[in-house]
Amino acid sequence: MIPVLDSFNLPILTLVTLTPAIGALLLSLVDRNNKALFRQGSLMISFLTLLFSLLMVGNFDNSVGTMQLEESHSWIESLGINYHLGVDGISILLVLLTCFTMPFVFMSSWKAIDDRVKEFHIALLLLQTGMVGAFVSLDLILFYLFYEAMLIPMYLIIGIWGGRERVYAALKFFIYTMVGSLMMFLAILYLHQHAGTFDLPLLLERLRTTHLLDTDQQFWLFSAFTLSFAIKVPLFPFHTWLPDAHVEAPTAGSVVLAGVLLKMGTYGLLRFSIPLFHDAAFNLQPVMCWLAVIGIIFGACMALVQNDIKKLIAYSSVSHLGFVVLACFVPNVETITGAILQMVNHGLSTGMLFLMIGIIYERRHTRELADYGGLAKVIPLYTIFFMIAVLSSIGLPGLNGFIGEFLILYGVFKVFPLWGVLASTGVVLGALYMLNMVKKFLFGPLVHDENRNVADLSPREILYLLPFVIMMIWIGLYPAPFINMVKPTLSLYVEMLKS
Amino acid sequence: MELTISRAEILAILPAGILFITGLVQLFADLGRSAENKRSEKTHLAMIGVTGFLLAFAALFVQGTGASTGPLYAGAMTDDLFGRMGAGVVIMTGLFSTLMSGSYLASRGSNSAEFTALISFGAGAMALLCQATNLVSIFIAIETLSLAVYVMAGYFQNQRSASEGAFKYFVLGAFSSGFLLLGMAFIYGATGGSLSLADIAASDGQQDSLFSVGTLLVLIGFAFKVGAVPFHTWVPDVYQGAPTVAVGWMAVAVKASSLFCLCRFLLFTGGSHHLAQLLAAISVVTMLLGNLAALNQQSLKRMMAYSGIAHTGYLLIPLVIALSGEGASAGASIPFYMFAYAATTLAAFGVLAAISVGSDRDQIHDLDGLSRSRPLLALGFSVALISLAGIPLTAGFIGKLLILSNAVQHGYLLLALVGIIASLISVYFYLRPVVSMWFREPKSSFELVPASWGITFTVAVCGIATIALGLFPGWLIDLSKRSVEAILG
Repeated sequence: MIPVLDSFNLPILTLVTLTPAIGALLLSLVDRNNKALFRQGSLMISFLTLLFSLLMVGNFDNSVGTMQLEESHSWIESLGINYHLGVDGISILLVLLTCFTMPFVFMSSWKAIDDRVKEFHIALLLLQTGMVGAFVSLDLILFYLFYEAMLIPMYLIIGIWGGRERVYAALKFFIYTMVGSLMMFLAILYLHQHAGTFDLPLLLERLRTTHLLDTDQQFWLFSAFTLSFAIKVPLFPFHTWLPDAHVEAPTAGSVVLAGVLLKMGTYGLLRFSIPLFHDAAFNLQPVMCWLAVIGIIFGACMALVQNDIKKLIAYSSVSHLGFVVLACFVPNVETITGAILQMVNHGLSTGMLFLMIGIIYERRHTRELADYGGLAKVIPLYTIFFMIAVLSSIGLPGLNGFIGEFLILYGVFKVFPLWGVLASTGVVLGALYMLNMVKKFLFGPLVHDENRNVADLSPREILYLLPFVIMMIWIGLYPAPFINMVKPTLSLYVEMLKS
Repeated sequence: MELTISRAEILAILPAGILFITGLVQLFADLGRSAENKRSEKTHLAMIGVTGFLLAFAALFVQGTGASTGPLYAGAMTDDLFGRMGAGVVIMTGLFSTLMSGSYLASRGSNSAEFTALISFGAGAMALLCQATNLVSIFIAIETLSLAVYVMAGYFQNQRSASEGAFKYFVLGAFSSGFLLLGMAFIYGATGGSLSLADIAASDGQQDSLFSVGTLLVLIGFAFKVGAVPFHTWVPDVYQGAPTVAVGWMAVAVKASSLFCLCRFLLFTGGSHHLAQLLAAISVVTMLLGNLAALNQQSLKRMMAYSGIAHTGYLLIPLVIALSGEGASAGASIPFYMFAYAATTLAAFGVLAAISVGSDRDQIHDLDGLSRSRPLLALGFSVALISLAGIPLTAGFIGKLLILSNAVQHGYLLLALVGIIASLISVYFYLRPVVSMWFREPKSSFELVPASWGITFTVAVCGIATIALGLFPGWLIDLSKRSVEAILG
């Protein structure tokens, strides 16, 4: 890759992580009535962050599979907590996805959010710092800090700018997540007591060379970590908070939740649960895989019968992320590559779908499928964009969704044909519920008169949807640059799990 | 016997001495004027108090930070880093409580010099309690501070709830003092007439069952002061009836000084395995009951009362570890936790005082829409609640991290697990005011008197301190560790 600015020795990961938070701090000093400044300011901050993240990619060496761009400073010395950051193939695409999504989330909220603009933008910026920070942290406590720090801005976003049942949904989201993360916190402390460090690379090294944990301990630690991530994914049967949160959240909240936050769960499985306790992960493989497969089919079936578009997409997330979990627990190079691509693809397609539902909601203030129909003639441009997102979500070859699902199914089928077959029904059902939704939503007869005068996409809306379309086509047609970034890491990763 | 007082001995009582003098000056400054103008804010009293507290705080540094002077006043007290940290918490709390009290009391039409003077007197006694190393001096310090606090609890004489709370507090408090004194007498007898903690530690009477009974009784006395279950029943009533500012002061300072003293006492005397188990049981019940009872409180003060009880439960965990002799270092979490708790709690009570200025507002729904009418107060309160719930990036999280990691380290997995479950329960009720402040719209009838500068300043400083301690806790943790090492010489 291009050795951009390498000689300056910039702490790139710190810049990517903390720029939004510093921006939020600056914005907090601005007078609250100056709404335009918050909108433009946070847009600029998020573009700056995107720039830094591209700089990160520029300095990322595709031929190396270990941690790169590491930064390590002692933070709380007496407790052995370090400020240790780094990226590898597993995290770099997710960081990129986060930084890519945020500017467009801000653009989508220009009109939608007119109340408490100041708080909204500050919360979203802090949320971004939390998300990026969690992806690049290599110290367990640091990771936990960022992981928890995401909770409060998201809670506020759902609770303040959400729909009618927002308080209930926000609380449910918070409590569910807290249950998992507090158990993980205890497990982190226990792990520290036995392995003597919070540092992830060091922990992996120690756990591999010496048998510090017996089977029981591994089981409990794995369960505690995995519970936390399973709730976040969400894995069946821990998914019940997701439909509520999605339906009640404002568009920006839904996009971030589906686009990035859910990946925190699958990322956590890949980064922590499985490599740290791989004996336990191996022993529990059947359980986890069955749950994943049930999630795939259950999520799809639930999506099939939803009348609320947002709820439908929420259940489709349960189904799509089931593939990722399945891949994580049948680790070989194909499945893990597929898992990472699927995470990115799901972020792009579901993120775009939520953005577009937000657009139509702004115009019609309803999400019920029955209130729509026949829109294709009224808003042709919208229909084209929406179809691209839908087809990407279904996994049409040539768009991004295909490659991830294909790799996962191929990799799983090689080892466990039964799970492979069961999971593939999810793809079929996926096409069914998505196309069914499109049929009711955009096509068919135009029954409601209110729908005759719906405005088509405005230039601003096209501007923030176009990047998603470009990325979908790019990854769909030429995924090599992305696969090359993750490949060396994943060969090492799979190698490590085998030994 | 010739009476000589060394320089170290004078320096040791300097902070407490300054505080006592401050209280006297406050009383004299308001002499004769007290009766008429109870509605004025009386900034001069606050200024005298602030000066006194700042001087006392400065006096803590005269000795430097680290040395322990060894026994002073024939073993009645000492002057070490641990005691100074305890006094530091008390003095900071007193400073902010004094700052907040003027406008709050004036709005209730009962601002008189006694209140600030009582804070100063109480603070002096508490500073002495943190340094006391002898059964008699411990008892005298506890009684002195209790007297001040009894009066403050019943400060609103005309209110039924205040009188009820104060009476309950006084009767139960006197009873618990009896336990304390009896326990001390038993210890005195069992150890062959030793009063100072060092002598007690050195004597061979510790195997005596009389000694165990004595320690148990002392423990009960302290459990009452810090509000541990089953000696907690007075807490909600007293909190509800007392002036909000006094509640903030009591919640932090009484708990801090008693825990510092108890920690020193237990580190010296040690204790049997049974005692440790008993204390562990108290801790478990206190954490769970405190948080569970807080779940459906409508009154903010009562909610904070139960939250305070729950935090006492967390704070007993390091004492359990210290008691079982598995590591004095476990006690190191106490000074840090108390500083964190002080910053957090003062910020919270600052907001409670601000909304109840001029009225009796104390219900959770009184906070509805606060983020619109007073965004900074709402932010400060939210930070405080998040810190109390132990969510990261706040001082409260680091405090819990210290306590729980110590528990895990020394094999008290069950205690840690209960602590985690208890914090999970607590998240629910700490979020209820957040929901009110941010998710609901203000009521039309809701008018808020602008908060006085003293309250605003307190909320701002304590809120920032809560976050700052959450981000950069290293120095304070190190200081806490060194302070506990200094106790044992």
